[in-house]
Amino acid sequence: MSSLQGYVDRRVLLILQDGRVIVGTMAGFDQKSNVVLSDSKERTFSEDDGVQEVPLGLYLVKGDQIVLIGEIDEAIDSSIDLASIRAEPIASIHY
Amino acid sequence: MLIFSVFKTLTDQRVTVELKNDLSITGTLKSVDQFLNIRLDSIKVLDEARYPHMMAVKNCFIRGSVVRYVQLPAEHVDTQLLEDATRRESLNQGKR
Amino acid sequence: MDVASTGIQEPFDLIRLSLSERVFVKLRGDRELSGVLHAYDGHMNLILSDVEETIMIVEGEGEAAGRVNVAKRKMEMLFVRGDGVILISPPART
Repeated sequence: MSSLQGYVDRRVLLILQDGRVIVGTMAGFDQKSNVVLSDSKERTFSEDDGVQEVPLGLYLVKGDQIVLIGEIDEAIDSSIDLASIRAEPIASIHY
Repeated sequence: MLIFSVFKTLTDQRVTVELKNDLSITGTLKSVDQFLNIRLDSIKVLDEARYPHMMAVKNCFIRGSVVRYVQLPAEHVDTQLLEDATRRESLNQGKR
Repeated sequence: MDVASTGIQEPFDLIRLSLSERVFVKLRGDRELSGVLHAYDGHMNLILSDVEETIMIVEGEGEAAGRVNVAKRKMEMLFVRGDGVILISPPART
């Protein structure tokens, strides 16, 4: 397994099949890359407004919904002014 | 199995992964598994102006099933070796 | 071309005999590739070199609705995931 082990207890950013972006602390994962996030938030992107963060709390994401899991560099992340970022949402995956 | 082996030989090389949501990510290939899930280090998203979503992300795990293409470093791919290995694997499959 | 002269009995034989030759690949999402085939597996995962990709984009709205724009790009060495492959066509034989 190209393992997710290194991401446990780290702040991570998930991109999902429907284009949603979720950040949280990786509490755990399993073989099917199902992931449990604690203190998670959805980041919604829009071309007209800044990035909004919607709190989700403790969240389980099914592995087959995940496109990508990235480790967040917290120093960089905290230096970003989310309210100033304008971007279209990420496209959903179509097979 | 063959393709998995090819990716293993490309560990530590720079590759560009293009996803089915049109996102392209260049990074150093750190590991791959039998599902062709991919770990990349020192990543850079192509067209960062359009995709600022991952600005603070330095390494990532990509699910194999969402990959459309991977651009490989041609100088590290032995095409003759690949063709021989592909012929060998297809023969083995015929015998099963 | 009969079975005896070509050695083609199964679909994958056709692909095997195209190794190191330029093939045409049709993909999902209105994409086509032309490239030299170096590897494949049973999922139709492919490795191609000297690839030209053609994407057909149909304009959805406005004056140009229905018009097809074609975007092309070249890639030196490319892995193609098999789930996107619709067909692989061998080089024309003369």
